[in-house]
Amino acid sequence: MISTSLRHFREPTKDEQTQLFFSIPSSTLTDSKLHDIEKVDINSVLTLGDGEEEPYAGKLYIMPPYLSFASLDRKSVRFTIPLATIRRVERLNARAGIYALSISTWHGLRFVVQLTSLRPTADAFCAVLRDALKVELQRGQMKAVKAFVKTCYSEALVPSSSNVADNEREDGSLIITEEKGGDQMQERSYHGGLGLKFKFPGDPKKLREASKIKLWTTYLRAHGRNLTLLRYPQCTRLVQVGLPNRLRGEIWETLSGSVFLRFSNPGYYDRLLEENKGKTSTSTEDIEKDLHRSLPEYAGYQSDEGISALRRVLQAYSFKNPELGYCQAMNILAAAILIYMSEEQTFWLLELLCDKLLPGYYAPSMHGTLLDQRVFESLVARCLPMIHDYFESVDVQLSVASLPWFLSLYINSMPMVFAFRIVDCFFCMGPKVLFQIGLAILKINGEKLLQVQDDGGFLNVMREYFATLDQSAHPNSSDPRSRAITRFQELLLISFREFSVITDEMIINERKRFRNEIIHNIESFSKRASVRNLKSLGRFTKEHVGLIYDALYKAMCIVPPPPAVAPPPSLFTTNDGHEEKPETRIELRTFRYFLSEIATWARDEKIVLNGLTRRIDREVAEHEFIDRLFYFWDTSCRGALSFQDLVFGLDGVMFNDLMDNIEWFFNLHDKDKDGNLTKDEVLTLSESLLFIFRFEIGDAYLGAVSRFMSNAFEYGDALLPQSEDGSPVEIGSNQPYLNLATFRMVVLADEILEAFFETDLVASFRLQPLPELELPVANTGLLSDIWSTIATDSNKKIFNMFTDEIGKTIGKHQVIHRPSIGRITTLQEPKARESLLTPSMRSSASKSSIQSDSSSPTKSATDRSSPLVATPSSSTLSIDMAALTLKDVAVPEETGGIPPMQMVHAVNAALMERTPFAIDDAKEDEDSDEDTDEDVDDDDEVMDEVDAFLEAHDSGLTEEDKKVANDLLNAEPVK
Amino acid sequence: MTDSAVASTERSVQVKLVLLGEAAVGKSSVVLRFVSDEFQANKEPTIGAAFLTQKCRLDDHVLRYEIWDTAGQERFHSLAPMYYRNAQAAVVVYDITKAASLQKAKSWVKELQRQANPKIVIALAGNKVDLVQPSTSSPDANASSEDDGEADDATATPGETPSPEGEPETPRQVPREEAQAYATEAGLLFFETSAKTGENIVELFTEIAKKIPVEEILSKATSNRSGAAGSRAGGARQDNVNLEDNGAKSKDACNC
Ligand SMILES: Nc1nc2c(ncn2[C@@H]2O[C@H](COP(=O)(O)OP(=O)(O)OP(=O)(O)O)[C@@H](O)[C@H]2O)c(=O)[nH]1
Ligand SMILES: [Mg+2]
Repeated sequence: MISTSLRHFREPTKDEQTQLFFSIPSSTLTDSKLHDIEKVDINSVLTLGDGEEEPYAGKLYIMPPYLSFASLDRKSVRFTIPLATIRRVERLNARAGIYALSISTWHGLRFVVQLTSLRPTADAFCAVLRDALKVELQRGQMKAVKAFVKTCYSEALVPSSSNVADNEREDGSLIITEEKGGDQMQERSYHGGLGLKFKFPGDPKKLREASKIKLWTTYLRAHGRNLTLLRYPQCTRLVQVGLPNRLRGEIWETLSGSVFLRFSNPGYYDRLLEENKGKTSTSTEDIEKDLHRSLPEYAGYQSDEGISALRRVLQAYSFKNPELGYCQAMNILAAAILIYMSEEQTFWLLELLCDKLLPGYYAPSMHGTLLDQRVFESLVARCLPMIHDYFESVDVQLSVASLPWFLSLYINSMPMVFAFRIVDCFFCMGPKVLFQIGLAILKINGEKLLQVQDDGGFLNVMREYFATLDQSAHPNSSDPRSRAITRFQELLLISFREFSVITDEMIINERKRFRNEIIHNIESFSKRASVRNLKSLGRFTKEHVGLIYDALYKAMCIVPPPPAVAPPPSLFTTNDGHEEKPETRIELRTFRYFLSEIATWARDEKIVLNGLTRRIDREVAEHEFIDRLFYFWDTSCRGALSFQDLVFGLDGVMFNDLMDNIEWFFNLHDKDKDGNLTKDEVLTLSESLLFIFRFEIGDAYLGAVSRFMSNAFEYGDALLPQSEDGSPVEIGSNQPYLNLATFRMVVLADEILEAFFETDLVASFRLQPLPELELPVANTGLLSDIWSTIATDSNKKIFNMFTDEIGKTIGKHQVIHRPSIGRITTLQEPKARESLLTPSMRSSASKSSIQSDSSSPTKSATDRSSPLVATPSSSTLSIDMAALTLKDVAVPEETGGIPPMQMVHAVNAALMERTPFAIDDAKEDEDSDEDTDEDVDDDDEVMDEVDAFLEAHDSGLTEEDKKVANDLLNAEPVK
Repeated sequence: MTDSAVASTERSVQVKLVLLGEAAVGKSSVVLRFVSDEFQANKEPTIGAAFLTQKCRLDDHVLRYEIWDTAGQERFHSLAPMYYRNAQAAVVVYDITKAASLQKAKSWVKELQRQANPKIVIALAGNKVDLVQPSTSSPDANASSEDDGEADDATATPGETPSPEGEPETPRQVPREEAQAYATEAGLLFFETSAKTGENIVELFTEIAKKIPVEEILSKATSNRSGAAGSRAGGARQDNVNLEDNGAKSKDACNC
């Protein structure tokens, strides 16, 4: 298998990076109306409706069909919500000079965005928002939200005002589903994983599930959920202490953004499975092998239910992305995810993982894995130079340990309960987490690592460490609090504190830095493998075959062949084991490029002189002769050539002597292989010769071909059976006419042709890469009167066929065609040939053209924005919803009990003052009465852990700004 | 199984061994059987590679195998050189019930012979031989075969003739003779093994051990302080060749 896909890699554009950051799916939308709506962004200040969270300055984006926000530091606060979840947008009546919108979402959440850019920009932004919302309404997306949110567990956890009767108290039904338990499973409308039936890994008590669920319920109530979740610092912290099992799947889906894929592709998963039912492929075979080898110790995978779910998800993904198909490790990821998510949810998360979060990790070349290993190594060199240098000195390779970490998101390396917590952080904070954790692991084990002697020793240290993650990090500490910190907690703390310098941008840049190196390595590896896997090198050396491979590879980069397909599965397996594997085969179009790399006559090289500069234009020649060669080499009649076919084909000509060559050329034109050329075939053969000689200087070659033809026809006629009157019998032009012996005789009668078959033909195949060019100062000789040399009238007409072609050559006086043979050089001749664009130059050229293409819409979008300024009369944007049964914005009320949100807030405020690293007991907790003492302890512990992740968050606002923002919460809508 | 108590004066050699072969042919299972005499029906696929150690006692010295068990899927192929570099021995495994797996094995052999350490000792192992043997009637002892003068105490029924009472559920696809002929031609050790029953597993590793040029390694290693293979450019090191750090530990081995 030869793949050029790596050459087509393109760095993501800025737009795409923004989309990636906000987890917005790449647009596959066919809805043109949505496409017409431009992407806009604007500086703004976000204030949450209940005033519990600080206002944050940042940027608001419309990327239809999504609305997104990120605080200035790009991490404290952010959200992405589908426009379809927006129920109401109002312009607020505020102080002069302040432009603010109040936005309410499906879940009754209200937030205010103060647009702080210049007025026209703000107006334009509003206009786009209004248009986009209209389109979404028309597309029926608003209705889709209602059905969709029902599939989310959080809806059951936090009954929203929209689906709870008035008399039902919200706080009373807080843990409603917990109480109902698993036996009412048939009633649930929300998606869930195998864990609901087969239990989740880990001890719920130890994991403090109840406390975590409580904290999340509080958070989700105040900050929206599933499609409308807003991420404030608390969200990240709650993720860092570990997600509660029942909510885990949904939070993964929400934070990673795969929920948007599921939302915008309803029914896709089922259809995909339906359409591909019964289909088999290499991937499905590979999947089958691994089904029972995926987390086999988990009860769900000892049952048919779990196995079938896993099979369906993996197969569905391989159908969706046949090029990637299936890679070992995906089974482990999918099996892990299926514990927490439904099949459909898992499918979309897998799609997101393979496509965006771990790009290229599971591709056939695994280039993403190799690249990130290289990046990791460079980060180790930068952050932990001692370890890096030491490893280098004892020749220990980081990858032997770290590759599986990345490839299976640590699931394969450490106990599952811990790995899942890393996965939590990964989905929340992105791929940089894998690097941060990896660095922290090395750092924590630094002392031991500086003792290891080899790869094996390194792995042993790692294995030991992972096996003791649940033990105390400071077993000898006198402080019980610090003794209580487990090694795993320590790992997370060090990852996120000491390695917070590792950012997404840094990783993107590092990937850029090493990509070419990795691609080069992979390509030279697969070159070696391809050469090694040939059945035969023919008479070539390995180096020669390598050069043939290079030409093939170059051609494939320009004209990619169709995807390699496995031959149809045979009904019975042959016992000799010679099953065919999918193999790269090139079609005629690619072959022309390939041959033009090697055979001098298979390319048109024009030296163009225009007075100022000289250049060489090179084009791939197209001629029946080249096509003929293609089919001649296609010995297995597949209409496509493999690398082996090419090697054999070239071997068939490049080692020939005079007689071999004459025979080879004869056979090439003897279509029915009966040992005779027909009259037509003689003509075709002459055409082939003329094609090869088309750029030779002077008339000699033309003369030679014409002599050949006249001789051929003369001898041919002479050898025909005589009719009674002594004249040759008329035979059809497709009857056997000239045999090899006669052909040989005719060829040898001509010095030029003899020389051609003796050496020039073989010499016209050149495997050596083209040397640097040397521009000639030359001129074409004009055609002289060659036509007179043609002997008979009957044969003369054939030459007329070529006059057009030759005329073209004569016409272009400023263009010099480089001869393919170049034996006759009456004028100073070019010795060397042009250097072609190297493939990398080519790809960079095409890359830049793509980039400029894709950036132009943005440019025009901003250009167009000014005429679209909204008229003042439309400053109130109010969307009439189909479901207006909703009450107006429901800001959570202050109820008699202590609102959980307030508690968290108070605790946070108190904790904020403490030294960041301490995990201590200072905690001013306003107990809520339904907690048992034990629960309170649990909550304390969770909060302690949460606390450990506190970081200073900069809202980017002055006190005065904050006041303005908070005041807006009470502003009236513009009437 | 091999010895545990080793006199510190005994000559000891460290040998790096790599397992290669198509996915799911049983590489990890073969290693697990050799290292801790266990078999797990559903073994997770190896991601990247796993590392285990085991000792093998010969007449006058002890060999300490450092075993690298690699991932089998085709796309992990490009990672393999990372593991077989400096290897002194390789076991290329195929599954006797899957003809294609022998093809893959041959291509591994080819690659090793061209790409790896030129003196590497290669063994070919046709695994899962239990699947084509009557499973019901014969006790394990009877299942061992009659390899290359590797005469075990029991006389065995030829593997390729299933006895009438125990109908094998999976047909053999690679005849023993074919693989043997290939192995002879390519200069490989050859065994048909079963990780499940343990058949020929110890024999496999013992025969490899016999072919390792121990003297050469030892003499090379004398310049190093350690008795290790000497293939490493190690500086000062306190080697622990003779420490008993295998067996038990490998039981909770994860694929790290
Ligand atoms: N019957 C039988 N089954 C075996 C034998 N060896 C391995 N298996 C089974 O074959 C499957 C694959 O075994 P592994 O040892 O994981 O195979 P592997 O070659 O390491 O696979 P990868 O790591 O994916 O390359 C498992 O389900 C094993 O239980 C054997 O000797 N007999
Ligand atoms: Mg394995």
